[in-house]
Amino acid sequence: MGTSASQLPKDLLSEYQELTFLTKQEILLAHKRFTELLAKDDRSCSNPRLPMSRILTLPELKSNPFKERICLVFSTSDNKDGSLTFEDFLDLLSAFSDSATSDIKSHYAFRIFDFDDDGTLDRKDLERLVNCLTGDTDETRLTSDEMKQLINNILEESDIDKDGTVNLSEFQHVISRSPDFVSSFKIVL
Amino acid sequence: MGVTSMRRRGTLKTGLLPGGNVALEKIGLTEEDVRDEIMSEEQDLVKELVTMSTRECIQAIRDLPMCMEDKKNIRNQVLASKSSKKGFLLTCSADCSEQISLSLRRCGVGLSSARQAVRLWQGTMKEIGGRFGTSVLSYFSFLKWLLMFNTISFLVNFGFITIPQLVQTSGRSPDVRFTGLELITGAGYFNQTVMYYGGYINGTKDSDFKYNMQLAYFFTIAAYLVLCGVSLIYSMARSFRRNFVLSDLSSGSAWRLLCSWDFSMVNERAVRQRKNNLRVQLKESLSEMMQTNFLPVSERMKQLGIHLCTWVVSAGLAAGSCAAIYYLCQYNLQQIKVSQNPGNLKEEASTLLLPFVVSLFNLVIPLLYSLLSKVENYSNPRFQIYVIILRNVFLKMSILSILCFHWVNNVTTNVPMCWESYVGQDLYRLVIVNFFFSIFGSFFGEFLRRIIGTRCMPSIGIPEFDIATNVLDLIYAQTLTWIGIYFSPLLPLIQMIKLFLLFYLKKVSLNRNCQPPRRSGRAAQMQTIYIALLFFPSFVGALSLVAYTVWCLTPSDSCGPFQGLNTTFEAVSLWMEDTAIISEFSWAVWIYSHMIKSELFFFLLALIFLVLIYFFWQITQGRKMLIILLKEQIINEGKDKAFLLEKLRTFQNLSLVPYHAENVHGPQYFERTYQTESDYSEGYQRGACPEEDTPPFASSALMQAMMARRQAEEEDEEY
Repeated sequence: MGTSASQLPKDLLSEYQELTFLTKQEILLAHKRFTELLAKDDRSCSNPRLPMSRILTLPELKSNPFKERICLVFSTSDNKDGSLTFEDFLDLLSAFSDSATSDIKSHYAFRIFDFDDDGTLDRKDLERLVNCLTGDTDETRLTSDEMKQLINNILEESDIDKDGTVNLSEFQHVISRSPDFVSSFKIVL
Repeated sequence: MGVTSMRRRGTLKTGLLPGGNVALEKIGLTEEDVRDEIMSEEQDLVKELVTMSTRECIQAIRDLPMCMEDKKNIRNQVLASKSSKKGFLLTCSADCSEQISLSLRRCGVGLSSARQAVRLWQGTMKEIGGRFGTSVLSYFSFLKWLLMFNTISFLVNFGFITIPQLVQTSGRSPDVRFTGLELITGAGYFNQTVMYYGGYINGTKDSDFKYNMQLAYFFTIAAYLVLCGVSLIYSMARSFRRNFVLSDLSSGSAWRLLCSWDFSMVNERAVRQRKNNLRVQLKESLSEMMQTNFLPVSERMKQLGIHLCTWVVSAGLAAGSCAAIYYLCQYNLQQIKVSQNPGNLKEEASTLLLPFVVSLFNLVIPLLYSLLSKVENYSNPRFQIYVIILRNVFLKMSILSILCFHWVNNVTTNVPMCWESYVGQDLYRLVIVNFFFSIFGSFFGEFLRRIIGTRCMPSIGIPEFDIATNVLDLIYAQTLTWIGIYFSPLLPLIQMIKLFLLFYLKKVSLNRNCQPPRRSGRAAQMQTIYIALLFFPSFVGALSLVAYTVWCLTPSDSCGPFQGLNTTFEAVSLWMEDTAIISEFSWAVWIYSHMIKSELFFFLLALIFLVLIYFFWQITQGRKMLIILLKEQIINEGKDKAFLLEKLRTFQNLSLVPYHAENVHGPQYFERTYQTESDYSEGYQRGACPEEDTPPFASSALMQAMMARRQAEEEDEEY
């Protein structure tokens, strides 16, 4: 950690402070953890990119059932491989931080739960969401009847315009009525 | 336009392009059209941001759900257009004010990061939240919040009451020597120190130290209690609004269970366990909804009978414990009358019997209550928790009220010396013994239970952290402290030390002996209930006792700052009479005599508040009806939108080049598997090809609408 590339320049630091919900300490800590995960030769690059496999070794993400979706959603790489630059990493931490607004959190939660990236949560997305949260092996899965009933209940509750899918506004409306969401949608380094 | 519309614009880019080019071609659009549309939206966004002030602009950019690169892009555009605008008005003052606001912002940011760095127990609480979830964490945050109350109380009391008293009486030392027992009994050496009411003297008459101890004592305690009350009401109302009014109250709601997944959980085993628990809860809620609740009448009567019996038994237990405590109190008083030498160690130790019995009742009877609740059969587990909490609160408050009754009625007349100090000592002992019993409760409830659960009877398993019992314990201890502020101004210090030690004790016990809770969710609503319980009956009860003491009871003649007065409040009346002579403060005297002393004023105030409450209640009723109407409107507009889009598509398909028409069947709608009686859906169903990559309903609708709007704008420009 003796190279000069490992230090964040001051103007970048203040820019990040303005553009994200993170404090200065959190940004510096994120920078430290990010550079620790980089391979040695990548560190001298101008804008290094961490592959998804290395990001998933972080203890905060390792046991999260949505870890791949989180990386895919925040990644800005062109080939959609879930690799993150440092700015993507900061975006991730900012959305999951304490001071992020409920709108930002629900927006990103929607994108994380949207497994097929089509802009709405349809039955397949909801099914994959339930399976992700209850366990994916054969003995832990819900039966197909139970799943159908559960998804019907979910859609009845949240599908306001009755089109069979949950779009972003409906999702945000449901989230605004669950007070536990904001405090549980948090990852802190 | 609001920030919401800006955020909708921000989602455009992310919502559209992931569909892919194939999807776009099917609805007759090229990628260029889409990019043009996105560029123009971005420019509108930049135009709006430029009109805002710098601080609002920064906040708005931060709120945009875009990636960092796009945000930087927009920010640069905004700065560029702002500086080009400024090029025309280069005044020194504008530049200066910009610099000042920039430095102020930097200061504010620096202060908030400094504040975060010194937050107490930040790392520990994050660790607990990561392993056990947010509901267990709420106990520790509650403890921290109470610690803050006590710290403020101690600082205020120490600064305004104790320090002047210490300055006054410096040089005088009590004539009883210190034995270790005082730390527990609170009597003896502590009796004549500033620990209790009796140690304070109003010295304005005989010394030249002009500090009116009477007014200081009264106003410090009054100001602190008012501050407590205001902050409790504020927290309670805010929490109530967030967690009850705006939230969905239906039990076992599937979305709430899914959305309450705790992302901060880090432990692998805890995550697995949480998944299991969630699955069990989902299955339970599904079976609950599918079950029919038609019990035969005899069954229901039997249930009702069982409920009635358990309520009678629990009320009987509470009444029995109250009677036992009352007789013990009378016995204590008689002992004091009989005793010859007040310094006897054995007699001082026997005063510990009362707090011991009180804490024993507080520990054992809730266990009996939870045994009773196992006999009853509750359909709703949430309701069961509420009933248990209600019974425990009832028990604790009835014990406290019998003690208060004893103090107010019997102690004031029968104790030969300072009755306020006697009450203060009683409270001190109650607080200390309560602490010891918390330690014992932790030991028996968690440590021994774990040993039994893992070694002797594995069927019981590892215990869970019982949040309700522990929080009620904290509330009870805080009630004692609030009652005790008038009689023993330094009692908050004891409570502070106690809370500090309790934090570490509970943390260690939690980490070693407990497992994460099985039922997730509802942490936020329970938090509101605990704050509400802290306000009423805890704070209100303490406040009413102190108010009654101040207004109606005669202070003792031989000690304390209020000796010689008829009531404590008389000190204020005398002070008002003195200031009435000074003509500059006649407004203060007028306020005192016409508002605080007159009953008519309070009557009118109460009447006005009742009218306002009725008025606001009518407004809420109207709003409820409005919500129902708006929901119906959304459904109708969805139907209209689908109808219009279908028309648009048919017109576009007719006007497209035959090359496109060959490759495109026309957009396929999702086959409606969702069972509602919507009569328009049959008309829209075509032969579904599930394998084809169909464009998403919502985003293609959005594109269509955007294209239509662009065309309309172009036509407008032509005119």
